[in-house]
Amino acid sequence: MIVDEHSRRTNIEARPPGFVSGLLRLRRAPWEMVATILIGAGVVMLMQPLSIDLYGWSFAVILGGTAMFLVVSHFPD
Amino acid sequence: MTEASTTSRPGLVEQVIRRHPDPVSVRFRGLSDRTIAWLFISPTIVLLLAINLFPLLWTVYLSFTNYRANRPNAELRGMGTTYYEQILSDPDVWESMQATAHFVIATIAIETVLGFAIAYLIDRKFRGHAFWTTVILIPMMLPPAVVGNFWKFLYQPQNGLFNAIVAPVLGVSPGSFQMLGDVQLAPWSIIIVDVWMWTPYVVLICLAGLRSIPDYLYEAAEVDRASPLRQFWSVTLPMALPFIMLAVLFRGIENFKMFDLVNLLTSGGPGSTTEVASITLKRAAFESWRTGYASALAVILFVTVFGLANIYVKALNRVKQR
Amino acid sequence: MPALSTAHSVVAPSSTSRWIAGTIVITYAVITMIPLVWIVLTSFKTPPDSIAYPPKVVFEPTLEGYCNLFTTRTRQPPEYIASLPPAEDVCDEIARSRNMVIAGPSNVVPRFVNSIVIAFGSTFLAVLLGTLAAYGFSRFKVPLKDDLLFFILSTRMMPPVAVAIPIYLMYRELGLTDSRLGMILLYTAVNVSLAVWLLKGFIDEIPREYEDAAMVDGYTRLQAFRLTVLPQAATGIAATAIFCLIFAWNEYAFAVLLTSGEAQTMPPFIPFIIGEGGQDWPAVSAATTLFLVPIFVFTILLRKHLLRGITFGAVRK
Repeated sequence: MIVDEHSRRTNIEARPPGFVSGLLRLRRAPWEMVATILIGAGVVMLMQPLSIDLYGWSFAVILGGTAMFLVVSHFPD
Repeated sequence: MTEASTTSRPGLVEQVIRRHPDPVSVRFRGLSDRTIAWLFISPTIVLLLAINLFPLLWTVYLSFTNYRANRPNAELRGMGTTYYEQILSDPDVWESMQATAHFVIATIAIETVLGFAIAYLIDRKFRGHAFWTTVILIPMMLPPAVVGNFWKFLYQPQNGLFNAIVAPVLGVSPGSFQMLGDVQLAPWSIIIVDVWMWTPYVVLICLAGLRSIPDYLYEAAEVDRASPLRQFWSVTLPMALPFIMLAVLFRGIENFKMFDLVNLLTSGGPGSTTEVASITLKRAAFESWRTGYASALAVILFVTVFGLANIYVKALNRVKQR
Repeated sequence: MPALSTAHSVVAPSSTSRWIAGTIVITYAVITMIPLVWIVLTSFKTPPDSIAYPPKVVFEPTLEGYCNLFTTRTRQPPEYIASLPPAEDVCDEIARSRNMVIAGPSNVVPRFVNSIVIAFGSTFLAVLLGTLAAYGFSRFKVPLKDDLLFFILSTRMMPPVAVAIPIYLMYRELGLTDSRLGMILLYTAVNVSLAVWLLKGFIDEIPREYEDAAMVDGYTRLQAFRLTVLPQAATGIAATAIFCLIFAWNEYAFAVLLTSGEAQTMPPFIPFIIGEGGQDWPAVSAATTLFLVPIFVFTILLRKHLLRGITFGAVRK
């Protein structure tokens, strides 16, 4: 936490915070990644030829991922 | 430039006062930055709200009703989410999504490999590469409808140019196959046209990616005695990857909603082998006039494209930072 | 070590590898040009030649395709044709040799005019609105700037068929169905998003110092915009305008779904140029050739800015 504050203030490109701690501290990058994966998964579900049940849930997943993306893109960097 | 340098000589304040004897009135004549910002931006926003957002919201509303555009006076009934449930459990729509997937995956795979290869070769900077690059880029600037139409001519069974050129290569007679009428070949005939038309797009973006790689990375690799193949895998490809991703995402979105080429070449046929999502939507909306149902399908496509557009802009920003 | 600067690798590509690369690229370019060359050739063929088997590479050129494109003809008995005064021009002569007389002009000129009016009208509006908005986004703090810019871009990415459904209903209410004004407004809306993004890229590159200097001089913000920013953005504005023109010129989905006569542009019209017994391919090719000429010119003019155009101004070089 201290290291992060320091690097932000002095503008030094420090190691980005870990994925999990980024999630916990509501940072933008990891949450956007989660939303991206959700949208991607939804698109795959929409167009896969294997299971019509997955197809049926695809829209809900895409909608959820997109809504999530809109929200988390306003998290701090 | 000249303005600034000439005025700085006699002293700024004097200059201002000489031109505008009453500095207070200047402040009143000039609009505040805030006002100007809104004055400049609002016409665009208003136009987009009227021609994009409002119709979009209307589509969402219609998707919950049984409205039919060819019977505007019929009694309007709320349908709840019936149409969404119908579409998301309809094997025919599911199949059209698979046809779309087939088209998207095949075109992106071919265009990416071919486009990157051509860009890599152009980057060898052979003599005349600038001219030939412009020639290569021409197809992507053409009207898709016109392209689809003249490829239909090239694909004519028997006397089409495509059969005449390809048949001898394959060692069959030109009359023995027809690209657009055959269930097996029809999807590929569209893929070929799309590859012809849009590989240049990938070439152009990959070329930008390759040219953005700083020379010192190659020099460092050379110092490490990395073989050319290793340089390619550890420097060229990873550095160009954000650009490749950008091209893949954009072509993916564009081909997911592909309409013009398919409509001109096969209109979804033969049967429904090339019926991609946009064609299904067109048939529901403008042929069977099930506006409510079509609106629900439109909303599904909207949301999907909107979600992918978010990812695209993220990729765009990543490339911008380079 | 001059070789260093000419190629990315420290070891510059050998002349052999360059030669191989050049050969492959040129082969690819030539192959992709075959369809276009074939269309231009076909436009100078007679209808029988155009569908001859095997395809004719060598043929006697004729203007029949172009004549058929611009005229409608009716079949007449040979005795009637013999009784007519001598043919006035080439097209007359060709028609009579096919036992036809020219009945009048075809629809192609009005369609071409539609294409021109709609393309230029929407481009003008889109560039006008786009320049203002781009300047606003580039220079001022706008609340929710990123969201607005994303909204603007996302409108361009929407599937046209899906957008066409509500537009069709809306235009029906407003009486804009199949009207040039309706198409101009629609294309403006689609183009303005590209214009804003592209022009924002161009204006971002113009240093603010120029305006600041002008404003210190006593000019108002608006005067500074007009006198320093606009002249410097001229190239960018021209490039953006050409991109908008090409889009409007090429657009098909909206045109085919929303217009049928009055305001129909060339792209949905060309596939329906029909002669006796199906499509009149020389006439279709003639229309295609004429329609593509402006695109060729524009592509060559734009070649330095193509990359910006297709990435919404994000990639500059």
